[in-house]
Order: sequence, then C-alpha cells, then structure tokens
Amino acid sequence: MTPTQPTLDDKTSDASMSRRNFLRGAAAFGGLTALAASLAPLRQLEDFSSSEQFLQKYYKELTPDDMTKVISRIEREVQKEYGIRPHVRDLKPMDGVEFVYCLNLTRCIGCRKCVHACVNENNQSRNPEIQYIRVLKMPHGSMDVEKGDHTYEAKSVPEKGFFYMPVQCQQCQNPPCVKVCPVNATWQEKDGITVIDYDWCIGCRYCEAACPYWARRFNFTKPEIPKERLNPNMAYLGNRPRKQGVMEKCHFCIQRTRAGKYPACLEVCPVGARKFGNILDPESEVSYIMREKRVFIQLKEEMGTSPRFFYYFDK
Amino acid sequence: MSNNTVTQYWLGALTVVFLGLGGFFIVNSAARPATGKKIPLVDVKFLDRTASRRTYADLVKANEDLSDYDCYGCHEKGKPPPIRYDANHKIIVPKEHSDVVMGHGSHDRNNLCYNCHNEQNLLTLQVRDGREVGFDNIPQLCGSCHGPNLRDWEAGAHGRTSGYWNHSLGAADRLSCANCHNPHAPRIPTRESAPPPHSLHGPAGHTAPHETTP
Amino acid sequence: MITAARNYMIFIRRCTRIAFVGDWRYYAWMGLLTVISLLGLNAYAKQLVHGLIVTGMSDEVSWGVYIANFTFLVGVAAAAVMMVIPVYIYDNEELHDLVIFGELLAVAAIIMCLAFVTVDLGRPDRFWHLIPGIGQLNFPRSMLSWDVIVLNGYLLLNVHICGYLLYCRYQNRKPGKWFYIPFVFTAIIWAVSIHTVTAFLYVGLGGRPFWNASIVGPRFLASAFTAGPAIIILALQIIRHFTNYRITDKALLTLRSIVQVSMIINVFLLVCEVFKEFYSGTTHGVSARYLFVGLHGYHALVPWIWTAITLNLVAMVILVLPVSRSLRWLDVACVLSIVGIWIEKGMGLVIPGFIPTPLGAIVEYVPSLNETLVCLGIWAFGLLCYTIFLRMSVPILQGRIAKSNEGQPEIQGDEPAATPLPDPLPH
Repeated sequence: MTPTQPTLDDKTSDASMSRRNFLRGAAAFGGLTALAASLAPLRQLEDFSSSEQFLQKYYKELTPDDMTKVISRIEREVQKEYGIRPHVRDLKPMDGVEFVYCLNLTRCIGCRKCVHACVNENNQSRNPEIQYIRVLKMPHGSMDVEKGDHTYEAKSVPEKGFFYMPVQCQQCQNPPCVKVCPVNATWQEKDGITVIDYDWCIGCRYCEAACPYWARRFNFTKPEIPKERLNPNMAYLGNRPRKQGVMEKCHFCIQRTRAGKYPACLEVCPVGARKFGNILDPESEVSYIMREKRVFIQLKEEMGTSPRFFYYFDK
Repeated sequence: MSNNTVTQYWLGALTVVFLGLGGFFIVNSAARPATGKKIPLVDVKFLDRTASRRTYADLVKANEDLSDYDCYGCHEKGKPPPIRYDANHKIIVPKEHSDVVMGHGSHDRNNLCYNCHNEQNLLTLQVRDGREVGFDNIPQLCGSCHGPNLRDWEAGAHGRTSGYWNHSLGAADRLSCANCHNPHAPRIPTRESAPPPHSLHGPAGHTAPHETTP
Repeated sequence: MITAARNYMIFIRRCTRIAFVGDWRYYAWMGLLTVISLLGLNAYAKQLVHGLIVTGMSDEVSWGVYIANFTFLVGVAAAAVMMVIPVYIYDNEELHDLVIFGELLAVAAIIMCLAFVTVDLGRPDRFWHLIPGIGQLNFPRSMLSWDVIVLNGYLLLNVHICGYLLYCRYQNRKPGKWFYIPFVFTAIIWAVSIHTVTAFLYVGLGGRPFWNASIVGPRFLASAFTAGPAIIILALQIIRHFTNYRITDKALLTLRSIVQVSMIINVFLLVCEVFKEFYSGTTHGVSARYLFVGLHGYHALVPWIWTAITLNLVAMVILVLPVSRSLRWLDVACVLSIVGIWIEKGMGLVIPGFIPTPLGAIVEYVPSLNETLVCLGIWAFGLLCYTIFLRMSVPILQGRIAKSNEGQPEIQGDEPAATPLPDPLPH
C-alpha cells in the first residue's frame, strides 16, 4: 500500500504469485481454525437455552394451554436438576387485594433471620449468594443509609445505640425499574407486586441501576441451591429456580401470599416487627397500622416512587 | 529482501501464529475460572420459626405435662405463700422457683408476685382490680397494665403472626404474650445475629483485590 | 435488474478480495488485530459459559468497562457528523472527500458499540425479545429501547450513505441527490440524538444522583465532539501516511478548530459540575467525592480521574496555543484528549454512579482479566473493520477499483501505488 520504489523482485513471477496465493490461503485457513478453536469453551454450555425455552412467548401472551406446557417444562427441568418434583403454579392476583408491608423499626432487633428465611423460601443461590433483604445497622437518630453498616456481626443483637433497618423491594406504586426495562420483562401486577418474567429478561441490568433501593439482584452465574434446601412449592413469577444471566428480586413471596398466606420473612421474625396484608381491607393489620400509627417513613420519599413498604415506630 | 519475500514470510508466520493460537484455545478451553470462596450454608437454627416460649395454653393443647402448674402439689390451699425481701428490698426467690428471674418493669418496680398471681388461688392469675384470669387468658392480664399493646395485639399489629392473612382461605396463627415475653422478665432477650452477606468478589463494604479469572 | 444485481455482486467480490490483499505491513497489522480479536472472542466464549461472574462486576457495581466503552464509542460515532456539517452545510471543499472516512469510522464505532452492549447482556440468546413485532420493545418508556432504535438506525443510515457513495464512485457516476442528501441531513440530527439518548440513559435514573443531573447530556456532546474529531484527525494522518490519498493540512486544521472549541466547552462543563457537587456539600455529592478525592478510605478511581483531568487540561492548552498548528503538536493534543475523555467517560462517569450503592455500601470495581480481554478484542475487531473499510474505500475513491477496470489485473498489494493525484492546493 505504501508508495515504494519498484524493484526487480516486484515484477512477480507466476511461481512467486502462486506461492503467495497459497500462503494467503494458508493464513486464511489458520485464521479460520483459530476462530473455530476460540469458541471451544462453548462445548461446556449445558442447557443454556433449550429450543423450547428459546422460543417461549412473553408471559402476558401465553395462553392457558401454553402456560400448562411451560409449567410442565419447568417441573421437568427442576426434577432433572434436583431430583425433586416441584409443584409449580401460575398464581394470579386476587380481586380487591392490594398488598402493603409495614415494618416496625421500634421492634426490629437486627437478627437477620428474615434474610435467611427469604433465601430458603425463594430458592435463591447460596453460592454466589443472592439475598433480597439487606439489614442496615444504623446509629440512633439518623435515617441516612450512608451511615448504615451492612456487614455487622454480633453475638448479641440489638446493640446499644443502634437501630436496625431491613431493606428489600419496596414494591413502588411508581417503580423506576419497570419504566426502564427495554423488553417489558418486569411489570407491576394489580395487587401491587412488581414481578419479573425470568424467561423473558435479557439481563441488561438497567433495572438494577434504576432501583433507588438496591433491591434487584442479578444471577452472575448459574445459581447453586442445595437439593436438601429446595422449596418445591413454586410459582412461575415467584420462587422457581432462576437461570444464569437474569434478574430477580423480592416478590412478596407470591407463591405464599397469592395463596392467602403470610410471606416467609414475616413468619420468621422473632419480634413481630413485620406486618403484611391487604390495604383495601379495613380490617387488616396494615389498615389498622396506617390508621392508628403516627409516623411512617417511605424510604427516599423524595424519589417519587411511592413505596408500598412503610417503616413506622410505635414508641 | 524484497517486499514480496517479506510478505511471504509474514503470511507464513501468521499461519503458524494462528494455528498456535488455535491450539492454545483448545488446550485451555476446559480451564474453569476460579469459583471463588466457599460460603457455608446458614445454620438451620436461623430458619426456625417456632415461638421462643410455650405457654400454658400450648401445653394443654399438646396434651403435655402440666405438673409445673400444679401449684397445690406443694403449696397449701388457703395459705398464700409469703414474700420475703433481702436488705436491699429485693425479692428473695425461693430455691424451688430458682428458674424464675425477676425483671418485670424498670427498677424492679413490678416485683410483687401477687401483682399478677392470685394469692387466694394459685391456679389462676388476677388483675389489679381483683378480676380472676386463667393461665390460658394471659392477654387479659397483661393488657390490664399494657393497654395500648393489648389494643395493637388485638388488631394484629403487635406480636407474631403466621398462617393466613386471608381469613377466607385459612386461619391466622396468633401468638399470645407469653409466647415471646417471659412474664417475669418480659424484655425480649438479645440474640446472636445470623451471618452477614457475602458480596460477589469480596466482603461487602470492603475492597478486595479482584481474583482475575482468565 | 439482473444485470444490476450481477454488477453489484462483482463490486462486492472485488471489495472483499482487496480486504485480503496488501503488503507485509498490512498483513502484520491485520494479523495482530485478528489475534487480539480472537483472544477476545475466546474470553467471551468463557463468559457465555460461566456467566458475568468472570467479570469484575457485581450487584453493587452492575455496569463496568463494557458500558463505559460503549458510552465512549457512541460519542465517537456521533462525532462523524462534525465532518459532515462543514461539508454539507457550509460547503467546505477541503473536507469534502474526507467525509466518507468519518462516516466509515462511525460505522466501525457503532459496530463496536453494539458488540459492547451485547457482551454486557446476561442473556444474549434472547436478543430477539427486543425486536418489535415478535418481541416486546418497551418503546417509548425505556430509554434503552430508544437507544436500540437510534443506534441501529444510525448504523443503517451511515452504511447506506457510505455504500451508496462508494458504489457510485465505483461506477463513475454522479450520486443521485435524492438518494443520499436527505439521509445525510437525517444523519446529522440522528448523530446528536444517539449521544443525547445515551446520556439520557443515565440522566433518567433518579436513584443515582451522580447521573441524575441535566449537565450530563451537554457534557456528553462536548466530550464526543472533542474525542471524535481527534480520532478522525489521527485516522486521516495515518491514511495520508500509508496511501497517497490527498489529504490537505488545511482539512486537518479545520478539524483542529472543532476539537479546540469542544475541548474548551468540555472543560468548562467539568468545572460547572465539580463546583455544584463540592460547593453545595449535599449528601448527593458522595459519588463525586468518591471519584475526585476518595471516600472512607476507598479511592480506586482518584488517580484515574486526575490523570484524565490533567490530560484534558494539557490538551486544551496545546489546542488553544498556536503551537498546535503544527501537526506534531496537534497529534499530541489529540492523543491526550482521546485518552483523557476515554477515562472521563468510562471510569469517570459509569463506575462512580454505582459507588456508594443506593443503600450506602462501598464496593469498588476492578475489571477482571477476562473482561479486559473481551474489551481489547472488541477494540481490535473495530479497528479491523475500520482498516478493511479504508482498504476498500481508498482504491475506489482513487479510481483504482472501478467498473472501468473490471477484468483487468487486480491490485496485488506490493506493487507500486499509482502516481499520486495532483494536489491543486499548494501548501
């Protein structure tokens, strides 16, 4: 390509020409071989995506027949992987129900039992660790999360001079994560729960960047769930095992709450700091709390997200 | 050397480099990136959701040994046991009741057994206004002093609940005062915290040199 | 119709052929880029198997160098328009024949952008979920869906403009105005939009105060219009060095004035931002504090950002002084601004947005080796594409590959180049 002075050798003979053509071919062949070889790790790709899953339609477009097939595929896959036949359901929101969570900061002692009950109920990966609830140990007098300690470890909680604030998905009425998802893989259901279709998420993690509560988690690798701790009571939009490369988060234990039960974090709380129920029912605990208690904190209220998760005090 | 020869050498060298690279890829393809650290499974004690204490009502329901509540097995009917104090006006707990820790109310203010126990009938409890309350109806007793807590508890806003929030699908399982609070020392005891979170490449909130995984 | 298709196939075949033909320097350069690209591809294959755990990213810092490079390259792509504007709006003759190199750079940059976004996806196999009709594109609510549209649209526009102009030149006929002028003007507006939309990707997130600032958009444009033309200046000089394609100093100096003004605006906007973050002292300034001075003993980004600021300031001084009328100094200034802006846009914009997390935890981010290899691979692949584009377009523009010489002996690579075109402008 460079302008060079012509030399005698540049008057290429036929033999030299064909030799060079041969060498070009050889280099091209070498390049293609290296190209193929560079993809060798892909041989370890296990069921990255079965064709059945690859072609699966969007949750809201699945007919009841499709859903039956999808559920039996999931049950089959779980059985193959864990040796346990799960019971997977596609539970729909109930009419006249909108969930609200209230957490009593006066009561919480920071024992983190909710964190682990949640992991156990919702089949989260144990290694690497995925947890939906993060408990912050906060100095008395401040609601500034920057002052929170996430990794405290204590033989005896609560510690003097601190209060504890568990944070999980706030199930916003105006969720930023839903707005940003490029493929509608996450949306708010009419009972207020923001859900994720794990079979539709492309794993761009934009929702994770958008969430002001750091409530979303990504499966950076294939989740690891010990067989003996698998919870076989599963829901499609809930706690069925996730795949590598998709988002997940707290869904108010859809597999329990849409069957009328309390979420797992609430049942395990040793001090009754967690309250959950239907805000549209005036008789519910949460309606009572909203009526009778004075101060509520919607975390980062200035974000305009309007959480369905309320922190309150009773003394 | 002429340009043409140099080009030929380069093409030859490239072929060799490409093939070598291909070989390297094949040999190296099975190498797994380091899996990182081991995270032990959380101890099942942190998953336990049973009540921390069992009440008289629980024992009756489970048909279990109620000998602890058989007061007149030892005490004499019609003769209320006397209460003794030490020099500091602290109550002396008799050795037969050494499991009782007195700690109700700040500054030991509520340290009279007969504030709650019925001295006329040890098998029942009594409210300060004299009403008799059974061991299976503790909230009535506690609520006589802790009114707002009783009100919250009745509404479901105080205390532990499990089971069904939707009562048309099942019953809520409510715990009563003594399931969590020891009546003699009602403050909830402190406990060990469950393990802290592990972040993906190092402990959360700390910088750890990232393990490169070629 | 059939003849037209056949002619086009011959054109494509000859272009493809020339991409594989060159002298030893060409083979050495292409060989090097191929090796690095393949190392990157191999690293990506590992990432596909094991997941994004092989990167340095985590739930705390969920975007890393992939998105940082993406952001920088969107700017490079957008900046191609900076050559188009003087040519088509102000009829600048010097740049007229060079516009196509800028647009080819845009094509290569967009290819790299798309590659960087793809490698960042957890489930690239589900890309079809983005395709309207069969998938679910969340348009217009998600800024990412806007980005998908504007990036692909920009790619198509530029591929069309370059392809059409080159094919016309090949056939030695005048391009039909209606076949490209409307596209050129669309591309000018579109170029601003790709960068604005990419900025809005960050600006729209209320939960991240470091990004949630209206200055981010203007800063994006200013830095893009600095780094983009700077890259084009360097590329043009390389073309001039290795081919005899006529590129005048005056053309380079026109680009210099663009870089000059943009850099001044860029530095001014930086000052605005730093002032706001530090003078007010609100808690929203923590990410900026982490970036510029470190926070609670964590300061991984501090050396990076001060390097970037130093490079940008030095570049600005050189650009403002008359000394940068000398190409050697101009080159230095260009290299400094490119590196400075790359750091500032990448490590300086994307990473600190995640530190501390919305819940106040500080987890630092260091790219892993595998992640770095993937990045290098994509850069090498992008350069490979750009080199091939130049290898094809230069002989076409020079008339050495043309319809008129079909069937005659093809260029071999080592033969002496055609006599340089006469240079009508003395300099």
